[in-house]
Amino acid sequence: MTVRGAVSAALASAGILLAGWQAGAQVAEVQAPVAAMSVGATGGAAAGDGTSGTGSTDSGSSESSTAAGGTYTGASVQTRFGSVQVQITVKAGAITDVKALHLTDDDRKSVQISNRAAPLLRSEALAAQSANVQTISGATVTSDAYLTSLQAAIDAAHL
Amino acid sequence: MNSQLMPAPPAHSRSGGPEVRTYPAIPAGPHNFASQHRRRRLRSDALTVTAWSSVAASLALWLADGGARGIDSAASAFTAMGIVAGLAGMDLVLLMLLLAARIPLIDRTIGHDRALEFHGKLGKPSLYLLLAHGLLIAVGYGMAEGLDPVSESVALWVQVPDMWLAFISMALFLAVVITSLVAVRRRFPYEFWYGVHLLTYAAVATSIPHQFSVGAVFAEGTWQRWYWMAICVATGTALLFFRVLQPVLATYRHRLTVSRIQTVAPGVVNIEMSGRQLDRLTGTGGRFFVWRFLAPGLWWHPHPFSLSAEPLAHGLQGEGGLRITVRNLGRGSAQLARLRPGTKVAVEGPYGLFGTAARTRDKVVMIGAGIGITPLRALLESTPFSPGNATVLLRGHSEQELYLSVEILEICRNRGARLFHLTGPRVDGDPHTWLPEEAVRRGHTLAAYAPDISESDVYVCGPAGWARNVVADARTAGVRAEQIHHERFDW
Ligand SMILES: Cc1cc2nc3c(=O)[nH]c(=O)nc-3n(C[C@H](O)[C@H](O)[C@H](O)COP(=O)(O)OP(=O)(O)OC[C@H]3O[C@@H](n4cnc5c(N)ncnc54)[C@H](O)[C@@H]3O)c2cc1C
Repeated sequence: MTVRGAVSAALASAGILLAGWQAGAQVAEVQAPVAAMSVGATGGAAAGDGTSGTGSTDSGSSESSTAAGGTYTGASVQTRFGSVQVQITVKAGAITDVKALHLTDDDRKSVQISNRAAPLLRSEALAAQSANVQTISGATVTSDAYLTSLQAAIDAAHL
Repeated sequence: MNSQLMPAPPAHSRSGGPEVRTYPAIPAGPHNFASQHRRRRLRSDALTVTAWSSVAASLALWLADGGARGIDSAASAFTAMGIVAGLAGMDLVLLMLLLAARIPLIDRTIGHDRALEFHGKLGKPSLYLLLAHGLLIAVGYGMAEGLDPVSESVALWVQVPDMWLAFISMALFLAVVITSLVAVRRRFPYEFWYGVHLLTYAAVATSIPHQFSVGAVFAEGTWQRWYWMAICVATGTALLFFRVLQPVLATYRHRLTVSRIQTVAPGVVNIEMSGRQLDRLTGTGGRFFVWRFLAPGLWWHPHPFSLSAEPLAHGLQGEGGLRITVRNLGRGSAQLARLRPGTKVAVEGPYGLFGTAARTRDKVVMIGAGIGITPLRALLESTPFSPGNATVLLRGHSEQELYLSVEILEICRNRGARLFHLTGPRVDGDPHTWLPEEAVRRGHTLAAYAPDISESDVYVCGPAGWARNVVADARTAGVRAEQIHHERFDW
């Protein structure tokens, strides 16, 4: 290898890595709002119980209202693609809404999967009125975590 | 010792001996070997840049995906390192495949043997990277889920689609690299080693599904996915094209058949072949082809042999003949001496840089020993030089071992090259000489035979240890690495 070859190879490689780093910085900026949005959406509804489920295992759940109705936050479930946490709204003993406080978002693929799986899981859970629903194929990890968190929230609501 | 100095007669004197062929007209006029060499060095640098850039690009894919920003815990750090190791490892594997794909651009730039040398050098690094990839991912994922790496691996194997293939791929890579290590390679026959090496293709193939289905960097809809697919497909296509399609086409195009077997010396035969469109092969004298003689028990055994004469095309469609000279070294080459005329021949090539394409200077020195003399015979016939600008040194135990020396003498006379026969025993107990004992005693050195060697291209072909000593002497005499062209028969 000549000196010219070595120097040009080093420069080219450095340039490519720098370009990758720059592109990565932009991705991080795009991704951040995605995560922030799911958290933000719950911020209003969760009525202040922001500390619930910060543990990494399903140590339990917390109620933010009385047993008759209100919102219940499930445990935050850790997966290799990020954490998953859902919150349910209960009115007169029935689940009227499921919100994802946080979904797997470790990388673009997880965001993709979460965005696809969450609406499906939500509608199935509302229809079944339980966490006893099919996992979404291709999103097994997200589904399992979602349903675990959902079960914890349902348990907390004593439904 | 018998060393003779040929005077330099005019280039085109006819001598008309019985074995003498008509030599192709070598284009007169100045050959710009310096600029040929500059271009080759430019290509070589471009290849270096491409190779390094591809490794950098594999990391940039991950960086561009926001990879580095996602590290916020020990678990994600392990996972990140695992991903990076996997990307770089796979990129090296693709580079290895390309180096072994016999791509003409690579062959004409660094030569087949150097390409394989780099290929071999990448073996261990890529294996280590792939092993690290598996381990780090198991640790990183495991930490995120509160599992030990073994349970995590089992979970990955059982639950995640395509991961079982990835585990098999890892086992295959291990098998390939371990059997390629020289120490182990010695204990098995070449064919066994070759067969295991073919497993590389299975190892690569089984590793690909999980890269696209589990690898988050290559999620659907990302440009990274397209880039990775493109380089995988390009590598596969290059392999298929240059290692399968091209040889089939060349075999069909040239329709080579054995025309004559002629004994040159005990255990050494000329194999002459006739074929078509041989005009497309002129200028390949000294380069080598991989031959398969399509006879029972022989066809599956490929052998590299150099041309020992420049291809001769006399017919309108390029009909003509070419020739190799083979020494009986092992099972396969012993059978070759008994080939029947009319046997069809499959051919791959030409390969290697032992030809005019490697020239960097106007003067040339050729040094050969034993069977290594034969490609020099072809090169001497075809490579351009003015009378007086070429020196040929032939080394053998006895005159009889200076294969093709009659023909070489004839060409030297015709073209005005100086020829020395260096025969006799070597110096006892001195592993550093390549000259016969008598020459050493008289104080002859390489520079004494070829005074202008430092401004010549030096072509060396012969047994490995001997060639090493020649090259070392040439370097001492002021020859730069770029001027030395060394063909090895024993890779
Ligand atoms: C670029 C090049 C040019 C060559 N040109 C000539 C030539 O012009 N004339 C000539 O006589 N010989 C030439 N050889 C050497 C020749 O190819 C081998 O001697 C021959 O293939 C040995 O085959 P075999 O079946 O007789 O030996 P085997 O009995 O099969 O084996 C002899 C030894 O060679 C090894 N071997 C066998 N086949 C190969 C292979 N394909 N690659 C690497 N190692 C192998 C075996 O492991 C063993 O150690 C050349 C070799 C190379 C690499």
